[in-house]
Amino acid sequence: MGMLTLTDVELSQDIGCLDRAWAADATFALVPARSSVPREWVMDALRRLPEPWRQGHFALLTSGSTGQPKLIVGLRQRAEALARLLDQVQSGAAAAATVVALPLTYCYAFVNQWLWSRVLGRRLILTQGFGEPESLRVVLAQARDTMLCLVGAQVPLLRRGMPDAVFPGVVRLHFAGGAFPQEHLDFLSDRFPNALIFNNYGCAEAMPRLTLRGAAASEQGANIGWPLPGIALTAGADGRLLFRSPFAAVGVVDAAGIHAFSPDEWVESGDLAVPTADGSWVLSGRSNEVFKRYGEKVSLAQLIGSVRLVWVGEAAFYRETDRQGEQGAVLVLAPSPSADELRRVLSALRAEYPRPHWPLRIEGADVLPRLPSGKIDNLRLAALERRAIVWKQRI
Amino acid sequence: MTNYDKLRELIQDILLLEPGEYSLGLGRGDVPTWDSLAVVSIAVGLDETFGQHPSPDEATGLKSVADIVAFLESRGLSFSD
Repeated sequence: MGMLTLTDVELSQDIGCLDRAWAADATFALVPARSSVPREWVMDALRRLPEPWRQGHFALLTSGSTGQPKLIVGLRQRAEALARLLDQVQSGAAAAATVVALPLTYCYAFVNQWLWSRVLGRRLILTQGFGEPESLRVVLAQARDTMLCLVGAQVPLLRRGMPDAVFPGVVRLHFAGGAFPQEHLDFLSDRFPNALIFNNYGCAEAMPRLTLRGAAASEQGANIGWPLPGIALTAGADGRLLFRSPFAAVGVVDAAGIHAFSPDEWVESGDLAVPTADGSWVLSGRSNEVFKRYGEKVSLAQLIGSVRLVWVGEAAFYRETDRQGEQGAVLVLAPSPSADELRRVLSALRAEYPRPHWPLRIEGADVLPRLPSGKIDNLRLAALERRAIVWKQRI
Repeated sequence: MTNYDKLRELIQDILLLEPGEYSLGLGRGDVPTWDSLAVVSIAVGLDETFGQHPSPDEATGLKSVADIVAFLESRGLSFSD
């Protein structure tokens, strides 16, 4: 079998092709079906891989936060070792199966679910996720001793699509892909009464996991917990979160070329974070989502965290410059807020932040655009057609 | 909508006032959101809402809602309703 690419659509039609690819020598790439990156770019990147990476490896295409395609290359042995470690450190709730509600081309679902089920011989239950919420509801209602992996952005979909459903058969519930939805914890505990709930953190370069915390171990959604055994974290320049991991990717291929991570290299996670006294870490934002505005350091992650305490719908920012030439951001809420809901959001902003932190505008939209991973597609927010200004600053 | 109502909406919107905070006697020291950027915002808002743009000196002199009403009345707008 030569080098090949597999999309989440192809995997949903025949999951056996992933088993065959994993068992074969040749390195293969997982590619989101809805990715705008041409398949030829991926094939070209695969052809450019150094000889040692051409067997026994796998690759994942990402382009979410920057829009620039990047192929992350991992070693299968490392990923399998991480899948085993994850099961050990989360063994308080032994899961016999996992329900997949995210694309398997997403590193988190791929390692946490597909590879976990393969390595440990557990049952894999594929669904179309929130694309077919009723089917997902039925599968979850029938589940027994099951692990479910979600991203925080899916919780509003869960609240809207299955407001009264209870899933006692889910014994482990994991979140990744941004700040943990701490504000929804009571709701999640009600709907998954027998589940241990975890906040997972990582990035594609980590392949993919770096930390773990039980949901109740912190009241801060931005608290990502403690590093997994064998993994080290440190804060680099300007608070950039760096890591060393024996499970990490071996390197990346992007427009700049091929970069192989050396064993002693501190790798950028793409986030900013600070350590706390108890050894856990707290995210302060994406490296590209912290900026100065009228002399104030603005963190969009902190702002979103405050908004989510008073707003149960979806929320995201896109960047814009104001008429004075200062950097700023526009907050988009979906569905569009009522007058009372808007007042609560504005009151929270007023209570916690000085004016330079406030968004330039608040816009209401029907739905927010999403990446194949289920996360909100911030790059497409500014181009949303159906949105309306519900509040604006005049500077 | 009267000019008084328009002004109340504008000031509430710019200063993110809670219900009951707005009054003619409201002044710059009464709410923390009436900061230097709010002064600029009020100037822009008066232009957008009433077509009256205060000069920088005039804007700096608007230290209460009553001052703003007086400024707008000096430009010929009525707040008698």
